[in-house]
Amino acid sequence: MTDLDTYWRDLVTAAMLGTDRRDPPVPPDGPIADLVDDALRPDPGSRMLATVAAVAAARRAAFVPGPSADTLQPPEADDRPMCSPSAAATWRQIVSEWSVLEDEWMLAVIERGLRLSPDVLVEALARHRSDGVRRARVMLAGGAVARWLVGHVPELAASSSRRVAAEAVGELPALPMPPELDELRSLDAHTVARRLAGGFEDGRFGGPDRAVLVNLVARCRPAVLVEVAAALQGTGVGHALALADLARLRHRMLTELE
Amino acid sequence: MAEAWTVEQVAAVAPSPRSVAAAEPLADGARWSALGADGRALWGRCRGSGAEPYDTMVDHVEVGWRCTCPSRKLPCKHALALLLLWVRGGVPEGSAPAPVATWIGARDRRSSPTPGSDGGTDEAPGSPRDAGDTGDDPETGADIEPSAPDRDDLDRSRDERVARMLEGLAELDRWLDDRMRTGLADPALARYDTWDRLAARLVDARAGAVANRVRRLAGLVGSNPDWHSDVLVELGMLHLVARAGRHLPELPGPLADAVAVASGWQVRKADVLAGVPDTDEWFVAGRSDVREDRIEVRRLWLYGTASRRWAMLLSFAAYQQVLDDSFTVGTVVHADLHRYPGGALRALAGDRFADPLPYVEPVPVGLAEACDLIGGAVAAEPWLERYPATVRATPTVQDGRWVLADADGSLPLLGPKRSLATLLAASAGEAVTLTVEWTPWGLQPLTVHLADRAIDVGPRADPSFVGAA
Repeated sequence: MTDLDTYWRDLVTAAMLGTDRRDPPVPPDGPIADLVDDALRPDPGSRMLATVAAVAAARRAAFVPGPSADTLQPPEADDRPMCSPSAAATWRQIVSEWSVLEDEWMLAVIERGLRLSPDVLVEALARHRSDGVRRARVMLAGGAVARWLVGHVPELAASSSRRVAAEAVGELPALPMPPELDELRSLDAHTVARRLAGGFEDGRFGGPDRAVLVNLVARCRPAVLVEVAAALQGTGVGHALALADLARLRHRMLTELE
Repeated sequence: MAEAWTVEQVAAVAPSPRSVAAAEPLADGARWSALGADGRALWGRCRGSGAEPYDTMVDHVEVGWRCTCPSRKLPCKHALALLLLWVRGGVPEGSAPAPVATWIGARDRRSSPTPGSDGGTDEAPGSPRDAGDTGDDPETGADIEPSAPDRDDLDRSRDERVARMLEGLAELDRWLDDRMRTGLADPALARYDTWDRLAARLVDARAGAVANRVRRLAGLVGSNPDWHSDVLVELGMLHLVARAGRHLPELPGPLADAVAVASGWQVRKADVLAGVPDTDEWFVAGRSDVREDRIEVRRLWLYGTASRRWAMLLSFAAYQQVLDDSFTVGTVVHADLHRYPGGALRALAGDRFADPLPYVEPVPVGLAEACDLIGGAVAAEPWLERYPATVRATPTVQDGRWVLADADGSLPLLGPKRSLATLLAASAGEAVTLTVEWTPWGLQPLTVHLADRAIDVGPRADPSFVGAA
């Protein structure tokens, strides 16, 4: 602790009591004492104020690093490449707009031998503290850094210690859809696009079908996505445009993670 | 169409922050009829508590207002609401109706004979021009502008503003003296009202920046076990600003400018933009959002790759307004920046000459050198509350506290836990390059610069408060 720090503590004590009850402490010899002396303040309150201002300014300007600190033992090395900045941005868009794609995004990261970027890792750990399956995927995609981080930031730890089945972690969950839509998953791009767009154009599809159609677009073969997006966009129908957006996003997501 | 004001400018002409809050609910197109705007004026009829709607008009170029409401506050909440609505793009363009044209014509006739009266002053849209203090009785809805704004009047008005500000700063210094006398243990300090009353008087004295500082200081009382020390430092800083402000004419030019800005002296945006620009390839190093009263403030820190100087762009958003998202952290932008007087950190963006350049990793300094740079800036302007630096160091946890460490020592880190966790994850226990914002309480991480990307970890505005871009 420097002389100035000690003097500052004395000033704080005097300031708590007020100069009506205690005179300001006399500054140590040096520039502060000269400056306060120069101020020629007649009363203790204004002398105290001038001293406080001078010492506070001097301490701020004399800003230096504090004592050295031990660094943390780093985690084990993880050679997997980090997912790209655009993939991280897409994950953020997915969780805010189309969370139905999140499971597939995380599994694609794991399957393609990538690891999560730090920003996605922290957000995903915080997002899935209580969902065992999704959290297990985040821990896999985050690798050694994820385990290390949770050890140092308890706020990111799981809120439940329930074990989850390994199969559930590695499998994309099935999404409900009626048989007539489910069968579209095996058909070619042109047929799927035509049937979906046609359904909106002739009024067979509407608001009530949105949930199952979202499920279909989230689980159809990736190869059909571009054509489906174009056909749905061409209808000009509100619900179809939203599905087109989902199809484009899923296509981009899978392309970025290749 | 003239350039729309900013919310900050609207807030600056308001007689008090409460007036802005009272205007907010009225800044809704549904409350208005016959709305319109042109390059000079705004007009509309606002449904109020009276049987008849109030006819409101605002001269947004020469700054004046007129309203048929009975309010004695100037500008009234209807004029403020009309301005807010305009700022938000809610006032359609149109041709001024006859009463508005007549009012503007009368204003022009009164101001036209004096050459040079439309420029060369410090007054601004949003600056605390004393409209109304000498005007007619507002209850009649009559014009509230000074009757003959010639050069002498403008000088006199400026002198009056200076006198009011000096009076406000003198009162602040007396108040600070009293605090020293009665002590920080005085229970009055724990009451927000104690600070709010002082802040309100400083707003009246047109020392808005100091008023904001007083309100922030109120939040420090009792905020941590060491709050007496923190509050004492801030009281010292207020004393420096008050004392320097009272001796403005004796200070060297750049310092006088810096003190004027710190006191709240408004500078016209057009005057800043008319200055010689700093043209550079600006590295967008970091962003931080802070809520101040009812306004979200965004600071963008830019570093000149040629000039090696920092600059700061500010943007403001009231409830459901949008913050400036036009600069992306981690990119380099070839652009003009126009600094506020005195070579200030604060600047306004001018022309941009090309699309943003791809990501580059900045050149960092060590903690000791960063302290030197920050200390130098703070020595020049001790009342500075934030200053940026790009450093290379290792985040770590020491006795339960987050710090940034290198061979020279350590500095405390602060900020949202998620930001710190992201910083830690990015470092994986090793040194990392990051841009931080110095504050008197520690370093706030803003950006982690990895080899292929910048990760923005700065505090972000509450998305339920600001609107989507």
